[in-house]
Amino acid sequence: MTHEIWPQPMGWIPFLHPVKLPPGARLWTFFPLILCVAVVYRATRSRSVRDMPRATAATFAYICVGMIAIAAAFYLLHRLVLWLT
Amino acid sequence: MAPARDTTRKMIGAGLLTWLVPGAGHWALGHRNLATVFFLAISFPYWTGLAIGGIKNQVNPWSNPWLFLAEMGAGGYTSICLIVNQLAGDLDPRNLADPKYLSKVSPQQRAEFLKYMSYYPESDVSQIYLATAGLLNILAILDALSRAQTGQPTFDQQIAPAGSRP
Repeated sequence: MTHEIWPQPMGWIPFLHPVKLPPGARLWTFFPLILCVAVVYRATRSRSVRDMPRATAATFAYICVGMIAIAAAFYLLHRLVLWLT
Repeated sequence: MAPARDTTRKMIGAGLLTWLVPGAGHWALGHRNLATVFFLAISFPYWTGLAIGGIKNQVNPWSNPWLFLAEMGAGGYTSICLIVNQLAGDLDPRNLADPKYLSKVSPQQRAEFLKYMSYYPESDVSQIYLATAGLLNILAILDALSRAQTGQPTFDQQIAPAGSRP
């Protein structure tokens, strides 16, 4: 089953031969990246790792909400332009 | 004079180590837990991006110099990848500077070279991950410099009111 979703050629070498993403996976790759951004950003503001978890979770949530709001705004703008033309 | 020279040496060392391996500068300064956090949070997007896009396409200063510049934020990783790119496989990365290169080679070679290539959407995801990792490591370098100089994180230094300065 996994092989059908994620077919790889024989003799596949990691990093040399690209990985084929499953269909529809592109948008989901957003979340791990934003988590890394939130972690690094918060790490540059923290005196120790103990200060980080709550602040990182809040930053992660802010970025996600902000990006989703921007996406929704552009979608609405796109619909408006289609409606006007 | 000597403490200032020590601080400068410490800053250069921390910055260089972080550039080579994310978190290494923090490790050397004694911030072991933070070093682990930086290492994981920067290495994960870098190696994930590279796995998704493939080294021939994505660490290639001839075909995508701006992406390469962003990747050089994580200089140790990118330098190793560039060397591996030139040594591994029979596709010279310099040839990819010509966007029509793959249509000029024989069909057998094209079939062989296509195994190294990534296209939309994998190529986009890979580039975003790699560029982000490189730029995040620049933040980590700045943080290592700040901690080496003042012992405090980059954005934690309070600006004293104008009248209270000695």
